[in-house]
Amino acid sequence: MKSRKDSSRFQTLAENLVAFGQKNGADEIEISVYEGSEFSVDIRLGKVENLVEAGSNGLSFRVIKDQKTAFAASSDLTEKTLHRLVKNAIERAELANPDEFAGLPELKEIESDESSMKLYDPDILSLESRKKIDLALETERIALQDDRITNSHGSSFESREVQTILANSKGFSQGYKETFFSLGVGLQGGDTDEKVEDYWGSSARFFSELESPEETARKAVDRTLRQLNPKKIKTQNIPVIFEPKMTSWLLGFLFSCISGTSVYQKTSFLSDKLGKKIGNEKISVVDDGLLPGKLGTHPFDAEGIPTQKTRVIDKGVLKNFLCNTYAARKLKLKTTGNAEGNSVGPNNFYLEPGRITPQEIITSLDRGLILTRTIGHGLNPVTGDISRGAFGLWVENGEIVHPVSEITISGNLGTVLNTVEEIGNDLEFRSAVAGPTIKIAEMTIAGT
Amino acid sequence: MKTKSTLAFKDHFNISEEELRKILNTALLKGGDFSEIFLEYKTFNFINMEEDIIKETAESISLGMGIRVLAGDRTGYGYTNDLSFFKMKKAAITASSIAQNNQLNTSNVLKFRSQAQNYYPVKKPAHNEDLKKKIELVKKVYLSAQNTDSAIKKVKVSYMDQIQYITVINSDGLVTSDVRPLVKCTCLAIAEKSNIREAGFSGGGGRVGLEYFQSQLSPETIGEDAAQEALHLLKASPSPAGEMPVVLAPGHSGVLIHEAVGHLLEADFIRKKTSIFWDKLGKNVASPQVNIYDDPTIPYFRGSYNMDDEGTAPKKTALIQQGKLSGMLQDRLSATLMKKPLTGHGRRQDFTCIPIPRMSNTYIDKGSEDPEDIIKSVEKGFYAHKYQGGQVEDSGKFTFSVSSGFLIEKGKLTRPVKQATLIGTNIDILNKIEMVGFDLKFGLQTGTCGKEGQAAPVCDGCPTLKISAMTVGGQK
Repeated sequence: MKSRKDSSRFQTLAENLVAFGQKNGADEIEISVYEGSEFSVDIRLGKVENLVEAGSNGLSFRVIKDQKTAFAASSDLTEKTLHRLVKNAIERAELANPDEFAGLPELKEIESDESSMKLYDPDILSLESRKKIDLALETERIALQDDRITNSHGSSFESREVQTILANSKGFSQGYKETFFSLGVGLQGGDTDEKVEDYWGSSARFFSELESPEETARKAVDRTLRQLNPKKIKTQNIPVIFEPKMTSWLLGFLFSCISGTSVYQKTSFLSDKLGKKIGNEKISVVDDGLLPGKLGTHPFDAEGIPTQKTRVIDKGVLKNFLCNTYAARKLKLKTTGNAEGNSVGPNNFYLEPGRITPQEIITSLDRGLILTRTIGHGLNPVTGDISRGAFGLWVENGEIVHPVSEITISGNLGTVLNTVEEIGNDLEFRSAVAGPTIKIAEMTIAGT
Repeated sequence: MKTKSTLAFKDHFNISEEELRKILNTALLKGGDFSEIFLEYKTFNFINMEEDIIKETAESISLGMGIRVLAGDRTGYGYTNDLSFFKMKKAAITASSIAQNNQLNTSNVLKFRSQAQNYYPVKKPAHNEDLKKKIELVKKVYLSAQNTDSAIKKVKVSYMDQIQYITVINSDGLVTSDVRPLVKCTCLAIAEKSNIREAGFSGGGGRVGLEYFQSQLSPETIGEDAAQEALHLLKASPSPAGEMPVVLAPGHSGVLIHEAVGHLLEADFIRKKTSIFWDKLGKNVASPQVNIYDDPTIPYFRGSYNMDDEGTAPKKTALIQQGKLSGMLQDRLSATLMKKPLTGHGRRQDFTCIPIPRMSNTYIDKGSEDPEDIIKSVEKGFYAHKYQGGQVEDSGKFTFSVSSGFLIEKGKLTRPVKQATLIGTNIDILNKIEMVGFDLKFGLQTGTCGKEGQAAPVCDGCPTLKISAMTVGGQK
C-alpha cells in the first residue's frame, strides 16, 4: 500500500535530517513532515463546478543552538534544498538572542495507541469519486426542491487523508494517519433585494458519521428560511440565547484568552486570573485530546508530548492555562499537550453540557434574542470585549415570533462567563471547539 | 527577444518547453476547452521580536505547480509539489477528467509574452538583503514603541518579506512570468494603566525594498503609532449603540468599500446571481458623489501585480461612477462565460488553489468637500478612526469593526470611544453617503483579504466620508 511505503520513507527522511542537523552543530533539532491527499467536489445547480484531486507534502523544522531558535519550512523536499535550509537555520540562529526558555521537551512515553483513538477511516481508500460527487449532487438537489429557496451557493464534498510525522534530537520518532470528511450546502432564499442566506454541513473523521444528504439539506433549508422577512429592533439590553454553533464561536474566543501564549504575552484579560473565579459555578470547560474519533483528537502534539484531558475551568474557577513547552516554561506550569505549529492550539475544547433541553431554555425566555449567526471581527482578547454583526430570532413569551437582522451584539467575555443562566444538554462535537445551547442574562443589542 | 526573464520557468522550475506542451496536451485529452499550468517558487523570511529579544527567525520555501482544465463552466484541478515530469503529468490526467466529450484539443505553440509594465521596479528586493539589516529595522520599531510612554508594557514586532516567481503557461500558447516582492513590518503595543489594558497596532510595507522604511515610513513612526493608539484607547470609553450619522476617517475606512462594494462585484457572484448587484449593471446604486475603482497598477502597492495569476495584464477598473454601477472584477472563467472582457483580477493564494476573481487596491475616489466641514455638519454622531476588519454576505449585509473612534458632538470630535461594530446593507449605505472629502488616503500596507479560504494581499483607500445614518453597535 502506497501510504505505508511513503510513511517509512518520510520517517527515514525526518530521522536523517535530525542527524544531519546535529552533525552540523545544532544543539537540538525537531522535524515535522506532513503528507496529505485531498479530493473535493463543488456542485452548483446540479452540475459539477470544481473537481480537485491532489497530493502534496511539506516539511518544517526548528533548530536550537546556544538557546537561540530558528524555524524553517519547505515544500521542496530534495536533499540539496533541505540540507541548505538546515545549514542556513543553524547559521541564522546565531542572530537571535539567547532565550533560556527555548528548546525541546524531554522525551515522554506515548501511552495511547493510534488505533483506539479512531483517527483513520479505511473506507477512504474504497470510496469512489462517483459516490462522493453523487452525495454532493443529492444534497443540493433535495435542498432546491423547496421553492422558497431561490438560489444556491453550491454544495461540496471533501475527503482528506493526512499523515503527520515528527522526529527530534531527543530520540522521538513517531507518526500517525488521520482522515477527514465533510459535506455541506449553502443556500439563498427570498427576492433579489431581500435575500437571506445560510449554510449547513458536517465534518467527521469517519465517513459513516457524516450527516446524510437529506439531513444536511433539511437543516440548511430551515436555517435559511427562518430568516425571511426580518424586522429591525430597537437598541436595548436583553437576555440572549446562543445556539450551539454560537457557543462554539464564543469558546473559540475563550480559547484565545486562556492559551498559554497569550497569557505569557499578557495579551489576555485572563492572564493574572489563574486559580481565581472567572465565571459562575455553571461553567466547566475541558480540553481533551484523548476522546476517540473526535475531530480534535491526536496521540501527541506538535512537540511529541502525549495529549491529555485538562480541566480549564471548573465550576467557574480558572484551573489551568493550555500550554506548549515554551509557554509552560515561561509561566512555570506544565505543558498540557497543546503545541500546534509554533504556538498553542485546542484539542477537543468544550463547555460541559447541562441537563435542560434547548427547547426548555427557549420556553423559559419571556423576551429576548436567539443568536443564530454573527459576521465580522470585533473580538479583543486584551480586554475581553465582544462586538459583532448579528442575526437572530426574536422570542416573546417563550415563542419565536420573527427573525431579526442588521443588529450588532456586544458585551464582555468576563461578564458573559458570570451571567450564563442556563446550559443546554445538546453538546455535539461538530468541530474541535464545541459547546451546547446557553442563555446569557443580558447583552447589548444595537438596532435602530 | 530572449532575455533572462523569458526563461524564468527554466531557472526555477527546470522544465523544458516540450515537457510543458506535453502536460498541457495531456490535460486536454478528454476534450477540455482550455488547460493552464501555474508554476510557483516562493521564498519567505520572518523575524519576531518580543520581550526585548529577537525570539526567532524563519525561512520557508514553497515550490509547486497547479494544472487547471476548463470545460464549459466546469473546472478540473490538480497540483503537486514534486516537479518531476511524471508527477506533473499525473496531475494533468486528474484535471483532465472534468471534461467528458470526445473533441480532441491541443495546445498552441508556446510564445513568451513579457510584461508591458513593471509596477514594482525594486532595485534590491528585501529577500536579498542581509538579515542583520532587517533585525536592526525590527529593533528600531520595537524601541520606538516601548519608549513612547512608560504605560507601554508589551511590544511585539513582526517582519516578513517574500519573493514570488510565477509562470503561467496555457493552451492558447501564452507563456508569461512575474516576480513579485512583498514586505511587511507590523507592531503591536499594549498599554496598561490601573488594571486597564489596551492594544494598538500599526505597520507598513508593500511591493517595495527596504529603502521604503527610510523614504516612506520610518520604523520610529510605526512603533510610535502603535503605542499612541494603545494609549489613546486607555482614555476611551465604550462606544454608544444605536442608529446615528457616521463619519469615516480617510485611509483605512476603505475597508467599508472593500466589503460593501468590492466583493459583491467579483464576477463569480454576479454570474451566479448570488450578489445583490447581479442585475444592477448601469443602474444607480449609490449617491452621485460616489466613484469607486479597483486598480492593480498602483506602483509599489501591496495589492498590485504586473499580471494576474492567470497571466492577464491588469487594468484599473471602474466599479461605480457617479453612483452608477459600471464594472466588475473578472477572471478568465467568468469573463468567458459572461462574454465580457478580462480585467486582470484572477488571483490565487498559491499553486494549490484555483484562481477566482479578487480585488487588488480598492478605493473610493476623492470628492470636493473639506474634511473639516464634514465633521462640522454633524450635530451628534460617530467618527470611525481605526479598524480591525470587515465581512460581507452576498445579500449585501456587511459589518466592519472599529477599534477606535470618537464621538462627534456639535460638529467637533469629543470623547474617544473604543470597540464598535458598524452594520448595514450595502445599497442602503451607499445611497446614504452624503459627503465625500477631497482627502483621499490609503490604509496601512498590511491588509490581507480572505475568500473561499484563499488569502490575498490587498490595499483599500478612501477620503473622509459622511454616512447620514448607520447602526453603531457599542455597549451603551
